[in-house]
Amino acid sequence: MRFQYVLSEITTGLRRNLTMTIALVIVVAISIAMLGAGLLIRSQAETTKGYWYDRIEISVFMCNEYSTGAGCADGAVTDAQRDTIRQTLESHPEVDEVFYENQEQAFARFSEQFDDSDIGGIITPDQLPESFRVALQDPEQYDGVVSAVAGLPGVQEVTDQRQLLEPLFRTLDGFQLVAFAITVIQIVAAVLLIGNTIRLAAFNRRRETGIMRLVGASNFYIQLPFILEAAIAGLLGSVLGVIALFGGVELIVGRFIAPNLQFTSWVDSADVWAATPWLLVAGVLFSMLASFVTLRRYLRV
Amino acid sequence: MILFDNVSKLYPTQNQAALESLSLEIEKGEFVFLVGPSGSGKSTFLRLTLREDKPTSGRIRVAGKDLHRLSNWKVPHLRRRIGTVFQDFRLLPNKTVFENIAFALQVIGKPRRQINRDVPAVLELVGLDGKEDRLPDQLSGGEQQRVAVARAFVNRPLILLADEPTGNLDPGTSVGIMKLLDRINRTGTTVVMATHDQSIVDQMRKRVIELEHGKLVRDQSRGVYGYTR
Repeated sequence: MRFQYVLSEITTGLRRNLTMTIALVIVVAISIAMLGAGLLIRSQAETTKGYWYDRIEISVFMCNEYSTGAGCADGAVTDAQRDTIRQTLESHPEVDEVFYENQEQAFARFSEQFDDSDIGGIITPDQLPESFRVALQDPEQYDGVVSAVAGLPGVQEVTDQRQLLEPLFRTLDGFQLVAFAITVIQIVAAVLLIGNTIRLAAFNRRRETGIMRLVGASNFYIQLPFILEAAIAGLLGSVLGVIALFGGVELIVGRFIAPNLQFTSWVDSADVWAATPWLLVAGVLFSMLASFVTLRRYLRV
Repeated sequence: MILFDNVSKLYPTQNQAALESLSLEIEKGEFVFLVGPSGSGKSTFLRLTLREDKPTSGRIRVAGKDLHRLSNWKVPHLRRRIGTVFQDFRLLPNKTVFENIAFALQVIGKPRRQINRDVPAVLELVGLDGKEDRLPDQLSGGEQQRVAVARAFVNRPLILLADEPTGNLDPGTSVGIMKLLDRINRTGTTVVMATHDQSIVDQMRKRVIELEHGKLVRDQSRGVYGYTR
């Protein structure tokens, strides 16, 4: 294989199709940036879920003497009722641990939370509900536990912290979906562009390729400059896409999101570095594949 | 060297067969003229020999290979044993004479040492030594065709196919090209030349194969172009 020949063919080929090459580089860059963004959002969602699922609890608040509601018709929860609730929770297969919090403990926590507000002085321990804090085996499976205890006598209310986080996860899922949808659209555009670029390049060089076929150059040798041309454009585009991704993470997450929303850890440039090799390989392989498929149509034996 | 056994070729868009039940054999080292009016099947014959197309029916053997059984990826190796020359030269305009010929060796992966040895040798054979640095448009038509012949012959093929190589040249220049093809034939290379050039065929007195409407109408050793024309 004559390296110099291949190299000069590629550079002349890229130069001759300069506008197409630029378009191709941009489209690949956007595809790769979007693909990377989708991957980052997914890993963000995983991190956030993992972070919160470790802390997620179901709180089963029991009646005190001031309680109203269907389960509290008999006034404050009795010892028998409390034991039933505890047994129900502890025997449920999805429950990992059950902690009991009495009114004094609830008051201590309440006072701590509202330390510097006036409300702390008005509330007394007997106004607060005693509760069971339930940790789950699998945070996704909260429905069963909630419905198991919700109707029991002496239960005032069952709250599930997951419900509070659901909108955040839905937003992350939505972003991820949008990023992947854009990726797919961009990839379609990239395939068409690569096809056109290669077709133009093949047309520009039909004299050379015609002679090459005639004197018995192998298909591989004839197609190699075209495929490498696409690979180089793909690599350039991928590098630009990754740079854009670094910029995006730095600007949007690093400067804006992370300092303001501190309830979870956020993706940073270390995550981009981790994804970089995959994104580059994906961009190059994809471009080569697209050009190879096009060449099979336009450079026949 | 070239064997056509009952070969027919039908193009899908045409009613009439381009070749119809053609059987002929060309031996190693022969010089053969392929004559006939336009559309008689000469070009189809050359295309099938090069395996640019496959016949609709019949068997073709070229350089010991059964083209019917030859897989696609081996076709380049067949073509390395066949040199081809066209009426329109088909040189690369931005490459010098030397580079044009070297190109044919480069693209089949020959080492630089062999290129630097073989290209000057073939340039001397075709009588273009001293003009290796010219570009094609600085050469006359006859010289350009010599470059094309040199490119076809530099890899020492078993067969040289020439499709109207003198079609664009004046009679005097044509004679020079014919002398060159004759010299190549004397090295043992089989030469098949499709032509309309009556005077050349009549002068050379080689084997003449005449096609008409895709059929073989005459196969004559030491023949002339035709009785009627």
